[in-house]
Amino acid sequence: MISLRGVSLVYPNGTRALDSIDLEIAKGSFVFLVGHSGTGKSSLLRLLYREQRPTRGEVTVDETRVDTLRRSKVALLRRNVGVVFQDFKLLSDKTVWENVAFALQVTGARTKDVMRQVPRVLDLVGLSHKSRMFPSELSGGEQQRTAIARALVNNPKILLCDEPTGNLDPANTNDVMDLLHRINLKGTTVLIATHNALVVDRMRRRVIRLEDGKIVADEERGYYLSNPGQIESALSSPQIA
Amino acid sequence: MDWGRVQFFFSEVWRNFTRNLIMQFTAIGTVTVTIVLLGAFLFTRATIGTIGDDVLKKIEISVFLRDNVAAAEAQKVAADISADPRVRSVVYVPKSEGLRQMRERLRGQIDTSLLTTNPLPDALRVQVVDPNDVIAVATSIRRESGVASVEYAADAVQKLLRISDVLGRIGLGIVGLLVFTAAIIISNTIRLTVFARRREIAIMQLVGASSSYVRLPFIFEGLLDGVLGSALALALLEVARYQLLPKLTLALPFLPMRAAGNDQLAFGLELLGTGAAVGIVASWVSVGRYLRV
Repeated sequence: MISLRGVSLVYPNGTRALDSIDLEIAKGSFVFLVGHSGTGKSSLLRLLYREQRPTRGEVTVDETRVDTLRRSKVALLRRNVGVVFQDFKLLSDKTVWENVAFALQVTGARTKDVMRQVPRVLDLVGLSHKSRMFPSELSGGEQQRTAIARALVNNPKILLCDEPTGNLDPANTNDVMDLLHRINLKGTTVLIATHNALVVDRMRRRVIRLEDGKIVADEERGYYLSNPGQIESALSSPQIA
Repeated sequence: MDWGRVQFFFSEVWRNFTRNLIMQFTAIGTVTVTIVLLGAFLFTRATIGTIGDDVLKKIEISVFLRDNVAAAEAQKVAADISADPRVRSVVYVPKSEGLRQMRERLRGQIDTSLLTTNPLPDALRVQVVDPNDVIAVATSIRRESGVASVEYAADAVQKLLRISDVLGRIGLGIVGLLVFTAAIIISNTIRLTVFARRREIAIMQLVGASSSYVRLPFIFEGLLDGVLGSALALALLEVARYQLLPKLTLALPFLPMRAAGNDQLAFGLELLGTGAAVGIVASWVSVGRYLRV
């Protein structure tokens, strides 16, 4: 589903964000991408929705070569790849319904489809009763669920999440992670970049760890921290830099 | 037709348009001033053109024949001249007729009864088809045998042609400058809208809106500025035509004013089209420069 071969990314200022990354992610999997801030997690996600092109190497998403994709085809790629961010990126002057519908309307969807799809995803994220509210009237968790609904409304095969729980308290974090888990069960490939140890350890899924732009560990049902003794301290302070 | 989609598109355009109304009014106002001046310029040029044509048409070449030329020979010279395709008409004026015409013209001003002999030569009055040919035709007539001298308002012809040419260029230059200004202001307005909506644009791009879909509302905004501005200008020009022109015609009765004549509809559409084109081109450039999609 997702494949990176010999991928390196060097920013114009000389910073080496990714260094010879080889990675395969199977269809329908649920994968964590962990590592300290600045280790290249977000850069790797950006390559997958073509916000960034690699300096070297091949990036393939759903059998499409993304690194050589023509500009005019990027829009089509992005309809297939939903993206969720730490800061939600909702439009403050639009309601929950309008924010979600926006993603369909700007891709030229028919009104009939908008009327069918929006209630479906709002129901999935549990926000049907708040569809007329504005983002400022919602909790952080609800705002993130709105953003997830927006990312899902085009029925993408892949959902990329960049620190989706970074701004949330533990209760909201659990809600959002449960939601992402349910989305994965419906067949969507989910890739989550996070440095929240608690989340990673609770889910017990494949964990890919980046350090200085390189993959240093790739374990099924892995732990965020290699030393089990550290898990206790992680549990008491969920944010580990 | 999916009306929901149309409605969404126009609500986006309206949202853009009303985001910074002061800038929109500035843009529309500039287009209005530009188009009003363009209309006034075209009208003035048409009027000057008419005056020029009228004057130029009246310019004739006076050909004076030698004293010893007989009537038959004079007729032959006249026939030679009228064979030239550039010549519209040739009128033979014998000296007796010339004197009669002069007496007519100068009646009450000079006492012509004092003249004991006729001082005038036999003459030909030649009119040309195209005023631009006056000089060339005059030169070729001068070579005819029996011709004593050829006179025409050479300086007047050349000056008039030059003035109308220069006026045309200056006017066109000013209108060009104004069109450019209007385009810059519209372009800036669009830039402000793009800036105000950069968050929405980023999200549109993120969820897979095609670049033409992202661009279209901005192009439409520019079109709206251009069309509204020129529509306002047309309204002002219409008012001027009905209120100002009759007074102007009364004040300056000798000027043959023409208000676009029968081509009013075409003229209006041309001005409207100019405004629309300025709007579209300006927003196209702006979107291309400030919207990296």
